[in-house]
Order: sequence, then C-alpha cells, then structure tokens
Amino acid sequence: MRRGPWHQFGDRSQNFVIEQLQQGAGVGVIISPRDIGMDHAIAYSQRYHGLDAHVLFDPQFYVPGFSNTKMETYPTNLTRTTISQTHQIMDPLLVVLVKALHAVNSSLSADGLIAPALIYEAGRPDIMQLNRRLFSAAKQVGDALGIPTYATVIIGNSAVASDQTIKEILSHATSLNCEGFYYGFEFSSERIPSSREIVLRCCTAGLTLACTGLPVLHAFAGPMALLSLGFGAKGSAIGHFKNLWQFTRSRWGPTPDQGGGGNAPPRFFSSSLWGTIICPDEIIQLPPTLQNQILTHSPFSSQVSSSRSFSGWPVWDAGKHMVHTICSVVSVIAANSDPRTNANSALTILQGAVTLHQNIATAGLSLRDNTNAYQRNWQLAMNDLLTNHSRDFDYLALLS
Amino acid sequence: MPFNVPIDQAQADYPEYTFISPLTPGEQKAAFHVKDTQGQDLCLKIIAPNYNIDRVDREIQALQSISHPNVVRLIEYTRSSKPGQQKHCIVEEFIEGTDLGQSLQSGQQWSRPDASVFFTALFSGLAALNDLNIVHRDLKPTNIRVRTNGSPVIIDFGLARLLDQSSLTDTPDGAAIGTPQYFSPEQCRGTKHDIDHRTDLFASGCLLYQALIGKHPFWRDDITRSELYDAIYESNDYLDEPDFLTLPEQWQVITGRLLKKERADRPHNAAQVEAILQKIREI
Repeated sequence: MRRGPWHQFGDRSQNFVIEQLQQGAGVGVIISPRDIGMDHAIAYSQRYHGLDAHVLFDPQFYVPGFSNTKMETYPTNLTRTTISQTHQIMDPLLVVLVKALHAVNSSLSADGLIAPALIYEAGRPDIMQLNRRLFSAAKQVGDALGIPTYATVIIGNSAVASDQTIKEILSHATSLNCEGFYYGFEFSSERIPSSREIVLRCCTAGLTLACTGLPVLHAFAGPMALLSLGFGAKGSAIGHFKNLWQFTRSRWGPTPDQGGGGNAPPRFFSSSLWGTIICPDEIIQLPPTLQNQILTHSPFSSQVSSSRSFSGWPVWDAGKHMVHTICSVVSVIAANSDPRTNANSALTILQGAVTLHQNIATAGLSLRDNTNAYQRNWQLAMNDLLTNHSRDFDYLALLS
Repeated sequence: MPFNVPIDQAQADYPEYTFISPLTPGEQKAAFHVKDTQGQDLCLKIIAPNYNIDRVDREIQALQSISHPNVVRLIEYTRSSKPGQQKHCIVEEFIEGTDLGQSLQSGQQWSRPDASVFFTALFSGLAALNDLNIVHRDLKPTNIRVRTNGSPVIIDFGLARLLDQSSLTDTPDGAAIGTPQYFSPEQCRGTKHDIDHRTDLFASGCLLYQALIGKHPFWRDDITRSELYDAIYESNDYLDEPDFLTLPEQWQVITGRLLKKERADRPHNAAQVEAILQKIREI
C-alpha cells in the first residue's frame, strides 16, 4: 500500500482525479462502482496507472440492496444484491464472487484487492461470519493475482456507540488473514464530525488496526485525513464531495439529486483553518493580515483573491482546491513514518486553526457554516489518543 | 485425573520398545521415555481408551504438518486392534531436559537476555504453528519442554482445543484449577469461535511475565476459579507490580500487550513478538 493521500472516487471523479494526479496530488485512486461503469473504469484505470498512481477497486457491498445502472455493469453486483436480504452467501455464490472479483480486479490491473464486506453492525455474529466468507473469497483472488488483499472494516453507527463492540469487531477483523485494512467509520449526519468522543473512537479503532503492523488505508477520510497518519494509517482517502468525507450510508440509498450544493457560493478550503470559509463573502470581511493567513493557495485557486470585486470561482474548482490542499498537507505529514510525530503535526495544524478561528471571531466575523465546530474537538481527541494510548504508540515504534 | 498406565503393563503392551521411565502423564495420555530397537530415545504416549478420536486426529494432523526445532517432532502414530490387544499411541522425539515449570519457580526472575533468547525461540515455534493455522490452546509450563541446551519445545498441542471447562472445580484448591491459570479471557468466556492464535499469545504472555517477574500475573495460591477468571477478564494489577515497573519500557510494552484482554489489542502474531524480542535483546 502506498503511503500518503489517496483519491476516494465519487460522482464525476474520473477527470477530477486525473487533474489532481497531474498536479502531483495523490498516490492512488480507489474506484467506486457506484460512480463509474466498468468499461470507463478500465479505461481510466489505465490513465491513472499512466500517471503513476495505484488503483484499487472498492466493491461496495456496504448496503447490498442498493444498485444503480453503473454498478450493474460489474459482475460483482450479482453477489451484492443476492446477499442483501439474507446476509448469507452460499458456496455456489462464493464461486461466482471469486470469478467476479478476479474479472474486475484483473481488468483494472488493481494494485491490491479490497475485500467485499458489509458494514459491521453492533458486532452481529452473522455479519462477522458473512464478512469472513466474503474475505476468504477475496483472499483467494488476491493470492491468485499476486496482489495484497485488504480486509474491509467499516464500522457502522450502531457499533460506534460502544468501545467494547468496536473492540469485538476489530478482534474479528484482525483475525482475517489479510495484508492490510481498508478502514472506514460511520459518523452521524454532520457535515464534518465534531464529537470529541466519537472522533476519538474512530482514531482509536484505526490505531488498533495499525498496531497489527499491517497497512491501514483510512477510507472516506476527507478533511479527517489530517488525523489518519497520526493514528497510524498509511494512506488516507480523500474525496471532493461531502458525502465522501466520512462513510455515508445514505450514499448507497436512493438519491433525489446529484447534490453539489446547488447555487451555494464556493467554499474556500484553507489549510490554516483546516476548514472552509465562504468565498468571497466572508473573506472580504476580514482584515488583510487574516486574509493572507487564510488564503492558502493551490494550483486550482489562482483566481481567488480577497478583492471585493472578485467573483466567479466555480464551485467545482473549489472542490479541486480542497482535495489538492488536503493531499498536500497529508503528503507532508506522510513523509514521516512515525505516527506519534504525525499526530503531533496534526495537533500543530489544529492549534493554528483554533487560534485563527479565534482571531476571526475577534475580528467580528461569525462564520456562517459553523465550520469552526470541530477543530478544537479534534485537537482534544488527538491529545486523548496520544495520552490514553501511549503504549500503542510505543508498540508501533517497536514494530518499525 | 491423570491417565496412568503401570510401566510393566506398558512394556507388555508395546514390546517393540524398551521402557526406560514414566514421564508426567496427561489427563488423557500416559507418557514414557522409551528406546526403539536402534536404541533411539523416544517419548511414547499411550492414549486413554475414552479419548476423543477427533482430538487425536487433530493432533496427528498438526504434528505431521510441522517441522520446527521448537515444536515436538512426531515419529509414529499407531492405532490397531486385534482380539485381546489394542494399541493406540503416539511416538514423538524424546526431549532430554525438563519442563518449563521447573524454571518458573515462584520468586525466581530470569535475566532479560535469558528471557529474550528463550522466548524468541518459543515464539518462533508458535509462529510456525500460526503459519499452519494451528492454535495450541493449552500452552502452559508442563506443555513446554526445555532441552538441555535451554531451548524450548512445544509439546502436546492440539488437545486443549476442546478443553472441557465443566470438569473444572469451584474449589479454592489451586491444584484443581491447573490449566486455567493460562486461560485467555476468551477461553474463560468459553466462546470457542473467538479462540485463535492470539489465545496462545495470551498464555505465552503469562509465561513471559512469570519469567521476568517471578510470579504469575493473575494466579495466587488461594484463588478460586471464579476469582481467577475475574482477574483474567478485568485485572490490570499486574501492570503495577514494582518489579514490572522497573523493567525497561520496551519489555513492559511487549509483555503488557501479550496480556491484553481483547484479542485485537494483542500482538498480531507470534512472528511479530519474536522479532521484537530479538530487537530488545540487549535492553
């Protein structure tokens, strides 16, 4: 597994990702069957490889009852939908799944194999058993293709409520004979998770997986990618759209529209705020010194200025800027392989963000989107992680 | 209750071997030091008539699949039946030496270099079992022989898999609780589907702790079974032992991690522990 930021594929990601890779952002791409048909995925996979990116295919069994026309182009879809009701898979269907996973991953020249899995719910034994069987099918394919097989560990909302349930799920997941983990955590419907306690649970679970010594890819990380390498993940997956910023079950339900924020003004993602600010409405209300601190640029933000007359930065470019900015910061953090150092790097950035938000408030501006709601709590959660799980970090150091 | 066979009777039943001396019997096997016709020293274990054949099959399958200096070597398995004569035995290499129990005396602390060498080899043997998806499930001092050169050999594996917990007593008699001294939390719970190679890591963590600190992390002389189980489930008091706290941090980390209550928090596999112990040998 490549170390650093990965692109989490979402709706209309294919060219978006190419632009990012061309700008040097990202070490790999996780292709989503929900968002691109198989023929296109094969074509784009070649292009991604041509840009020196690794490619993974996320079979997305999370909500197996869901399907759409793009998913139907993949042979893996038959198995998905078949197990949706019973949460079981019979031996003949496992054979079908093996063939399907082989066909898709070999067609994409995948660099690793993400095993299909349902969302782990409250430690339910039937789901654990099903996921074990799904993993065994995937492992067979990974071994045949000569690529690592990553166990999928998506911890559902019902499991998040209890540390003990999470531990049971992790004990199961870490018993699988895998070569790494594709790890996601379901939060509430907040745009960006802000609960100190729940963020800590997410980081703690990730740290537990990392302590196996196997690589962890923090899936659906979004802005939380700042924390991923601090809890020992090797990779962190970043998408351009808010429903890719955390594991969002509703993404696999009926969608009334494509989202995208409608006519909302673009949000400028500032690495110094570790959050967004409305562009230009809020930016222009700040004194120049704060504007200069906030406007952390990327190749996709050159049009943005603090000029009162500025307008017309496409929302789409705001997304590109955000992903590029997060990837850049994650790349810098990833250059150091020590999780404790990486956690402290994240803390430094968060402290800067907290201070800057305080300065914005002092300047008399109240941010409309409540985008300062989580940085302080992330900081506290990371501090908790470093303090309460000091021995885990020591253990990771012993493994290195 | 150990399964005992008088040595004279054993000699009569297995005349192709020369019986030298009885060894510590197990609950289901009477063990002897024997010599074969070439004079080779061997260990012959006569299997009790009521012994579960599935367990034997599992043990033989495991023994046949492994070749490692820290795991006992199978020589022969015999099961035959003629009128008036039944033979059911396992013949293994004879390991000249002692049980680990003799080296884990209360109050006796090993030097860290000695512990490192010994337990690196033990975890190497366990790693070989891991590779073959074999879980010993009954690691304890009497199931680890120590060769005369000091290296460990894991014996009697495969049997503990079906340990019958209902046969344990509730008496406060320490002798009565025997094996549970090295039970992991998941073994205490009796959730067999939770038992995996990390169950062995927990037991070996108890052994490592005993070697380094000179006492068992959970067991004491007057403990009842339920108290022992509670301690295994919940107690972290062993982390506060003065002798534990004086260990170098790296040793505390690896020993503490082996003894974690939840499998996910233990080392991922024995090979990982083997590598770490090698790394901290000089500390």
